[in-house]
Amino acid sequence: MKKWLTVLLGVLLVVVLAACTADENAGEEDGGNDSEESSGDDTSTLRLNNGVEPTSLDPPIGFDAASWNVLNNLMEGMTRLNEEHEPEEATAENIEVSEDGTEYTFTIRDDAKWSNGDDVTAENFEFAWKRLLNPETASSAAFLGYFIEGGEEFNNGDGSEDDVMVEAVDEKELQVTLTSPTNYFLNIISNPAFFPINQDVAGEDEEWYSEADSFVGNGPFALAEWEHDNNMVLEKNEEYWDADTVELEEVHFAMVDDSNTEYQMYDSGELDNSEIPSDMADELLDSEEVTIDEQAGNSFYRFNVEEEPFQNEKIRKAFAMAVNQEDIVEYVTRMGEEPAYGFVSPGFNDANGNDFREENGNLVEFDAEEAKQLLEEGMEEEGYDELPEVTLSYNTDDTNKSIAEAIQEMYSENLDVDVSLENTEWNVFLEDQKALEHQLSRSSFLADYADPINFLESFTSDSSMNRTGWSNEEYDDLIAQAKEETDDEQRFEHMYEAEKILFDEMPIFPVHFYNQVFLQKDNVDGIVRHPVGYLELKWATKE
Amino acid sequence: MAAYIMKRFVLMVVTVLIIATLTFFLMNLLPGSPLNEERTTNESVQQNLEAHFNLDEPLIVQYVLYLKSIATFDFGPSIKQPTETVNSLLGRGFPISAELGIWTILTAVVSGITLGVFAALRHNGIIDYIAMTIAVLGISVPNFVLATMLIQELAVNRGIFPAATWNSPAHMVLPILALATGPMAIIARLTRSSMLETLTQDYIKTARAKGLSPVKVIVKHALKNALMPVVTILGTLMAGILTGTFVIEKIFAIPGMGKYFVQSINQRDYPVIMGTTVFYSVFLVFMLFLVDIAYGLLDPRIKLHEKGDG
Repeated sequence: MKKWLTVLLGVLLVVVLAACTADENAGEEDGGNDSEESSGDDTSTLRLNNGVEPTSLDPPIGFDAASWNVLNNLMEGMTRLNEEHEPEEATAENIEVSEDGTEYTFTIRDDAKWSNGDDVTAENFEFAWKRLLNPETASSAAFLGYFIEGGEEFNNGDGSEDDVMVEAVDEKELQVTLTSPTNYFLNIISNPAFFPINQDVAGEDEEWYSEADSFVGNGPFALAEWEHDNNMVLEKNEEYWDADTVELEEVHFAMVDDSNTEYQMYDSGELDNSEIPSDMADELLDSEEVTIDEQAGNSFYRFNVEEEPFQNEKIRKAFAMAVNQEDIVEYVTRMGEEPAYGFVSPGFNDANGNDFREENGNLVEFDAEEAKQLLEEGMEEEGYDELPEVTLSYNTDDTNKSIAEAIQEMYSENLDVDVSLENTEWNVFLEDQKALEHQLSRSSFLADYADPINFLESFTSDSSMNRTGWSNEEYDDLIAQAKEETDDEQRFEHMYEAEKILFDEMPIFPVHFYNQVFLQKDNVDGIVRHPVGYLELKWATKE
Repeated sequence: MAAYIMKRFVLMVVTVLIIATLTFFLMNLLPGSPLNEERTTNESVQQNLEAHFNLDEPLIVQYVLYLKSIATFDFGPSIKQPTETVNSLLGRGFPISAELGIWTILTAVVSGITLGVFAALRHNGIIDYIAMTIAVLGISVPNFVLATMLIQELAVNRGIFPAATWNSPAHMVLPILALATGPMAIIARLTRSSMLETLTQDYIKTARAKGLSPVKVIVKHALKNALMPVVTILGTLMAGILTGTFVIEKIFAIPGMGKYFVQSINQRDYPVIMGTTVFYSVFLVFMLFLVDIAYGLLDPRIKLHEKGDG
């Protein structure tokens, strides 16, 4: 059957090709103006796929991975995340923090230059950070600047630009005052939203960031070519203060949005890196070319505690414990993810150097028997003879569907409860979830910055991320205290405590932590993918 | 003729206006907004964004702003790519889609007619059977399946053509093939059947009897008349190719317009939805208009001005 089809299609192809040779050739002659076929198999040229066009290369506007992948390599903030994902001095040579942890003094290194040869100055940073907070800029990342004294007021219209406590003391020194000691501030400012802007360039051309010709950066690479929506070429930036470390001469970014096509390009040698198409996971995941990196975020489900039957804590726990996370990652998602037994993902060390996740342990674990027991108790508490109908909602997507079906099966098997499934289009789904119209719904979280507090603040009563109807005063207090705390040990204590409360009452249950899985050619090394979502090519090599 | 064209033109404008208005209100009826995000959102950040894109204005004000943008053909910035204007997205996407579309139409028409004519001339012969098998397959295999098979066979396995993107003429071959095969098949079948019919007509016999060369009889006398149904369907096919490019552009990562059209709806990127819809509808209505005019040129029996009077 298959052979027969192949033969037929083969015939079809040959004839079609023959039938329109005239046309095709004509096309090639006519359109042959820009046939600069790939500039050879240069070993110092890395070929990657960015998936889509970056949202914007204007630092405060491009607030997503597609923009960061490029921006993080074209520019540099005061700090840069190192191979261990810890912030290190970058454009700043020296950073001093006051005793109470609220005053930061950055000294910019003398050899920090823009790609046009200008010096990087403290004023560049003052200009950029105030611009991030300016309501007129309408940056989605502005809230990250609320840690700075006066930042929130300026952004919401209550304050003025002059009240923002960022000041260029002289050409090389920047002073910043925070609203409260924020131990992870140096981590936050490694985000591209905090990159400096050369205001001489911006003054001349307001849209300096939209074309390769006008783009001026201060990072390890410079933007050489940008054919919108098609490809980008980055070249080593000789003006970069640490140019000696950078080994790659060129990086090409394709913008291929289809994971099957991406894989086929990888297979035929047009790309050095590729995602794994989900239907090929089994085949490819064991190959030696696979690299797996952590990503700070997780896939989880939200209960709606205002909706029957999930107003009952025991019923929520029963539904949480009846889900076997390990089976889901092993048989359903199959991308080598870590099953999640808590909300904060692994990779955050507390004051004693212990991993947050290990230290706080597994807060929910699969236990079919206990789940069944809890369900019975819960039903008794509520006086149910029969459990009200439960609908599990997810936004339309193949993976979401598989997970939802697996969970449906687990409930039927472990709790003897039949839940129905409902899927809607993404925007419809989000609206309903925010309006608390679901009972049990698929969710995901990706961290904006690398600190457990970013995970946990999601479930305070007034958070726009809460969306469960759940509210707990003690939890809110703990999060507020953690944000104010100077002592890191104490701060982590608050957060440990908070996460335990979250799982004691279980308004959510986690499924798995995210990861970044890529196929990578053997001769490529040193690409760093940070858990917060940016790509680092400074140390990348290709042989 | 001029009066007819004038009349059609006014109708075109009204049609586009109706489409535009419907699009605007349907779009706003869709749940969600371009600023809807799964991540934690901050209230003042959201307000600044809404103000920036005029989304805090009442609907009717937004509608007026939108009509103004159509009149001036300036759709403002995209909301999802705020540093890009809709015009610049269209400006760089359309030439590429048009290039793909034109080559596809040419390929489909030339190869479809050739196949159809040969099939008709060798009616019930081996060429006829081969041509019609190709046609049936071409109609039955969806272009996205064909696209993936072409990439696998000709790009990955044999390495003759590049797998995707749009950088050189070699990159154009596979997407054009994938996109042209369906319309080609339809044209081939249409040409064949109408050619068969025409060939039995008396005037063809006369032409042959006059001693004209077979090529002249077929091309000048038979084909010209046999093409009427093909011209009729060309308008619809054009729409088909237009929509087909959405999928093909995605598979081959071609930076054309199709992506913006589909993506903008999923992302509720209002200015882009409006820009692309208006653009597409103007384009389509204009194509149908051209097809109407082409009738008159091909068959003098169809008198355009009478259509309006009758």
